[in-house]
Amino acid sequence: MLSHSYFKMDYKKLGFKCGIEIHQQLDTHKLFCECPSNIVDGKPDKTVKRYLWAAAGETGDVDIAAKHEMSKKKYFEYQYFKESSCLVELDEEPPHPINTQALKVALIVAKLLNAEIVDEIQVMRKTIVDGSNTSAFQRTALIARNGFIKTSKGKVKIDLICLEEDAAKIVKRTKKFDVYNLSRLGIPLVEIATDASIKDPEHAKEVAAKLGMILRSTKVKRGLGTIRQDVNLSIKKGARVEIKGFQDLKSMPKIIDKEIKRQQRLIKQGKKVSKDVRKAEDDLSTIFLRPIPGSARMYPETDIPPIRPDKNVEVPKLITEKIEDLKELGISKEIASTLVKEKKLKMFKEFRKFKNLDPTFIAATLINSQKDIKKRYNVEPNYGKEVLEKLFSSLDKDKIAEEAVFEILVEVSKGKKIDISKYETMSDKKLEQELKKIVESKPDLSMGALMGIAMKKFRGKAEGKKIAELIKKWKKG
Amino acid sequence: MKPGDHVQVKTKKETIKGILMPQQGSFVVIKLKNGYNMGIDKKKVVKIKKIKSGKGIGKIKTKKVKQKKDLPKVTFIATGGTIGTHVDYKTGGVFMCRTPEEILATTPKLANIINIKTLSPFTTASEDMSIDNYKKLAKLIADELNSGAQGVILTHGTDTLHYTSAVLSFMLEDLNKPVAVVGAQRSPDRGSFDGKMNLICAAHFCKSDFAGVAIVMHGSSSDEFCYAIRGTKCRKMHTSRRDAFRPINELPLAKIWTDGKIKIINENFDKRSDKKVVAKTKFEKKVAIVKVFPGSDPSIIDWYIKNGYKGLVIEGTALGHVPTGESGTKAGKFNKKMSWIPYIKKAIDKGLVVVMASTTLYGRIHPFVYRNLRLAHDTGMIYGEKLPSDMLPEVAYVKLGWVLGQTKDCEKAKEMMIKNLRGEITKRSDAKSFLF
Repeated sequence: MLSHSYFKMDYKKLGFKCGIEIHQQLDTHKLFCECPSNIVDGKPDKTVKRYLWAAAGETGDVDIAAKHEMSKKKYFEYQYFKESSCLVELDEEPPHPINTQALKVALIVAKLLNAEIVDEIQVMRKTIVDGSNTSAFQRTALIARNGFIKTSKGKVKIDLICLEEDAAKIVKRTKKFDVYNLSRLGIPLVEIATDASIKDPEHAKEVAAKLGMILRSTKVKRGLGTIRQDVNLSIKKGARVEIKGFQDLKSMPKIIDKEIKRQQRLIKQGKKVSKDVRKAEDDLSTIFLRPIPGSARMYPETDIPPIRPDKNVEVPKLITEKIEDLKELGISKEIASTLVKEKKLKMFKEFRKFKNLDPTFIAATLINSQKDIKKRYNVEPNYGKEVLEKLFSSLDKDKIAEEAVFEILVEVSKGKKIDISKYETMSDKKLEQELKKIVESKPDLSMGALMGIAMKKFRGKAEGKKIAELIKKWKKG
Repeated sequence: MKPGDHVQVKTKKETIKGILMPQQGSFVVIKLKNGYNMGIDKKKVVKIKKIKSGKGIGKIKTKKVKQKKDLPKVTFIATGGTIGTHVDYKTGGVFMCRTPEEILATTPKLANIINIKTLSPFTTASEDMSIDNYKKLAKLIADELNSGAQGVILTHGTDTLHYTSAVLSFMLEDLNKPVAVVGAQRSPDRGSFDGKMNLICAAHFCKSDFAGVAIVMHGSSSDEFCYAIRGTKCRKMHTSRRDAFRPINELPLAKIWTDGKIKIINENFDKRSDKKVVAKTKFEKKVAIVKVFPGSDPSIIDWYIKNGYKGLVIEGTALGHVPTGESGTKAGKFNKKMSWIPYIKKAIDKGLVVVMASTTLYGRIHPFVYRNLRLAHDTGMIYGEKLPSDMLPEVAYVKLGWVLGQTKDCEKAKEMMIKNLRGEITKRSDAKSFLF
């Protein structure tokens, strides 16, 4: 594959300015009501039809983006699913007080980004009349400012961290009306915006990846559509554009380069580059969505009084820090990452109470056993934490061998009862006697064949290494 | 320095640029360039420096009303309510401040439907509405209709909108033209303002053949159509939905669409005429609603008697019950002092007019079905003679105040209370009207 440097542009000379905005869904109930943050599709329980108008902002001006949407004169159809929406999403009930759990996550993110939490949080209404909000505005609150992250190309400043509600999901657009699904509306989002100090397209990717990792270290949603990256960029003589809809981080540098080329082309032709919101397409080019909205679209949310945040929230360890800690115990990077990713770290830490066990063995058992049982025996792994607890405890007391742990897990998954006695380690003396018998009764067999017979008999009761040593000893003898 | 000015706020740590917003308690509020408002603890502020003057905050667009002589003349009276709200920097909530011109600016299309004249006698939230306000409105409306207006649109807070529509129904005798009472459940500073459609439908209603007071508000949660509901048969049945106003015990009069289409649903209404409207605004203020509930102490009635009240509406349970302690063979531990019967008797003996209305809102009351009903009816409390009443408690209250303003004679008042005067008592119960 061609590396990105193929384009070989001098970004400094271009006057390249770039910042990133990330929107991440939080793993809590909705921001201003008690509905679960679940996306539901299919046949709606109810459909509501609405018109929206461009209302003036606090300073009396109507926002340019709002005017643009109004010029389309469309109406909107909202699909309501009772399991994930209520009258709040339908704009038929005032917002409930802000979800304190979501607020806490936003404050944690602010601290992880070294930002200053504001003294007083004022929830705002951001005018949005494309139909994606039934109220015609998105509720959003500035949580913190002036943060930073360290990157390979220096510090990148975090201008702001906001907590806001997600918009409704578009289902269908027609000339006369648009259809939206209400289930996504109101899911809490943390928005992070960097300043425009990103050096080049590869750097943009690095910053986005780092911010993603920091977010994943907190209580956020995972999976497709739960995180969205937007890129703001401009070049000398061009204009600031906001690009939305990146499918993955890999394509980010190429899309940025294509946008730079588009602006260069327009500049060359003597045309004016307009301030647009643009959408990234599958072919990595961008298309016009709407003008960039200005500050006139912000209005205070009069239904919610200002909030004094708790600036002393406890901050969790970052994913990268957790992985480093595990690596120090001798656990491989791959297993350490999986342990963190599959949220098994808590269980791992609990099992560390068995002091005689090798941490790498505990980690490997937690991560690999399930996969191996399925792969090798074609059995669905079916055991709970109690089974592991029992096995690790026996192993800790030297009652069974490490090999026995996997064997028993297989047996349990097959539906058998745990029978530890069957696997109890034999004393060295007994093992030696038994092996001596086998070797003497079959003097003609090769070393390998003898090993096969012995392993079959003593699997789980003695370590393979020890069996091999003893067979060798008696064979020679 | 005033809100709206561009300023620099210096704290020990940094200098923040933005637009100064009205202060909130111990915080200086700044609108940042990105539009967000941020509160800065006053203790941290070292200095605020003005950079340049701004254009002020909280400015509302107004619309100059152009007279369109070929359109029907309709008087637009604004009295406050959500339909006339804007952000309040004193409390952070919204308050009622808009002039009629500012409300019209939200719905410029109105000027293509009717020829508007605006009036604003006062602005208030509907819970602050007073009897004197009602009198003022009734006179104003009668004057307008008698001097050429083809109809009246009255904008009003929604919480007590149905009291206003009922009181105007009684006060405006020989009402010859449509009076549309309109509000909003979403304020006009939001893009989802519902008052816009309500106003347009009200304008179409004012051009119709109907004579009388009606509430014109959203018929459903969608922005599709409004219902015009008789002023004496309507009630706010939800705290916040657009379609909170529902007809009680009868069907709505009509369904109205924004394009002017009107479908009559209930034929039982008076037609537009050339009669002269008379504003009969006398109203007895010493009238109250008293609600019955398990464990309710009837001695509250003594308080009303002592304080010179002239009439009471008793909101009884379902068919019109009050506690008597005589309902079964084993009355249990019912305290005889808790029976409402002696208190109601006393009130009537003292010359008060006492009327029964039901807590259920839907359905008629009845004086005979149960022993307790007969006991209550025997006190002389009004249930309706030949026709048991289906009046809403709020309407009964307004009617009683108005009736006692017209006559001091108890017998005459009783007669008027029993008689259907403004469509407040229906003759036949329509099965379809329940939970409509």
